[in-house]
Amino acid sequence: MPLVAAFLVPGSPLHYLRPAVAPWAPLVHAHAQAAATLAAAQPDVLIVYSTQWIAVLDELWQLRPRVQGLHVDENWYDFGDLPFDLRIDTELAGACIAASAQIGVRSKGVDYDGFPIDTGTIVANGFLNPDNRVPLVIAANNVYHDWQRTEQLGALAAAQAERLARRYALIGVGGLSGTIFRDEIDLEADRIASAADDSANRELLEALAGTDGVQLRAACAEYATKVRTDMGMKHLAFVLGGLGERYAGARTLGYGPSYGSGAAVLEFNVPGQVVSRGNA
Amino acid sequence: MNKGEIVAGFLAPHPPHLVYGENPPQNEPRSRGGWEPLRWAYERARASLERLQPDVLLVHSPHWITQLGHHFLGVPELRGKSVDPIFPNLFRYDFALNVDVELAAACCAEARASGLVAKMMRNPNFRVDYGTITTLHMMRPQWDIPVVGISANNSPYYLSTSEGLGEMALLGQATRRAIEKTGRRAVLLASNTLCHWHFHEEPAIPEDMSHEHPQSYEGYLWDMRIIELLRQGRTREVFEILPQFIDEAFAEVKSGAFTWMFAAMGYPEIPGELHGYGTVIGTGNAVMEWDLTRAA
Repeated sequence: MPLVAAFLVPGSPLHYLRPAVAPWAPLVHAHAQAAATLAAAQPDVLIVYSTQWIAVLDELWQLRPRVQGLHVDENWYDFGDLPFDLRIDTELAGACIAASAQIGVRSKGVDYDGFPIDTGTIVANGFLNPDNRVPLVIAANNVYHDWQRTEQLGALAAAQAERLARRYALIGVGGLSGTIFRDEIDLEADRIASAADDSANRELLEALAGTDGVQLRAACAEYATKVRTDMGMKHLAFVLGGLGERYAGARTLGYGPSYGSGAAVLEFNVPGQVVSRGNA
Repeated sequence: MNKGEIVAGFLAPHPPHLVYGENPPQNEPRSRGGWEPLRWAYERARASLERLQPDVLLVHSPHWITQLGHHFLGVPELRGKSVDPIFPNLFRYDFALNVDVELAAACCAEARASGLVAKMMRNPNFRVDYGTITTLHMMRPQWDIPVVGISANNSPYYLSTSEGLGEMALLGQATRRAIEKTGRRAVLLASNTLCHWHFHEEPAIPEDMSHEHPQSYEGYLWDMRIIELLRQGRTREVFEILPQFIDEAFAEVKSGAFTWMFAAMGYPEIPGELHGYGTVIGTGNAVMEWDLTRAA
């Protein structure tokens, strides 16, 4: 069964909790577009990799069938709470854990009441899967995994989804340039922190529009020399790993600031996919 | 109102393994012990704290990481279940703590007056980080002393180590002024490990101490050098080599608590009392005390 969709989304709670803030409108609208595309694609499962779920020992995968709670972001707590109620495809998550040894990774499942689900995963699910209709597989960002190892994880998750005959979507959750404003700002005046960051972000988005995966990887490496990236853009690595040879470029549905950092909603071209309308 | 004072500071690291090894009723997982030398070190620290009779404990934790300034818990009562995202198998702890909001607000105001970005955290649903909880539990498991919880702004990592620790020093000085103005008898807790090189896999039985030893010999040597200087009261020398220690031992003191505490105490050149040292998944942890009442 096929890969039906793939997206890169920011995971910042700002756009989710304050959608009416004008500079964040393009990202909010882009999420709505992505959600519509995703719904039309009718996936059985969303495979989510968020840079904000940090692991140190082993690679962690959520294994609790239903994860509910109320999350408060440690930075943006005064913008509101983030209630969540996620269903997990534990069969697929378990398969990913079992297969990890094939790529030299030790994986573990987490199945604990009260386990802190990260802001990025909650926000991505809230935007893209607002009625929690589709179950998730959630993989952690082990800080010691590099780009290549993260691509391998994405490929592993995709392979296991196919082995289990799932219609699946890949969701990479993370930002672009990571320089933020370090003082209080007027939210209505939010912008990318510097012209250099803005330019580098736009170059990366342009590279993502191309269909040559080798060139894209080179562009990512160059991008990392120009800006402070979000975790080395491993959320992109995970999605690229999952796409593998199917990589055929991506469309930017929305791009904008997130308290100075760069954020974008990207829709990857997937063969046979229902294409959303509009572009940023 | 009497002028407040800092009566002591403790280096009080926060590996959740220590709570797990102790098996307190608040923590769900059960163990067969483990990490006894460090837990016995905390028993000594607890006895000192009992003798000091503070009004308030202030803790600076590297696991409440904030990007926009330095934040203070600002809700009178916080409770909930804290599950460690890294070691959920070891730490699932039901916490309930009382915050000294007046002092927290005073610290926040003084920090702002110093030119720092500072905020009060007023969301009652906020989940207190496991670093804060572990340090507080290990120091005072009765939870009967109000606390002030302070975030670790990411400036030492986001900016440079020296710029970031410069901010932490300002924060410490602001904390001292707030304590003095509010008349509190305060104890400071720096929730930091020393050498932070660690193993990447956990033993099948986490408390199997046959697997526990320093991950890095170089890191161990660094820890001993720093501890020996601190035991001799050679504080200035410690801070001179702190950047090198941070770089070469991947020391967690980079996150700021250690600098915050010493700046608040005025960098006293007094011998620190080592209650004990031990490793946790290979990291170096020292429980140390600086009793300013004895030094006075």
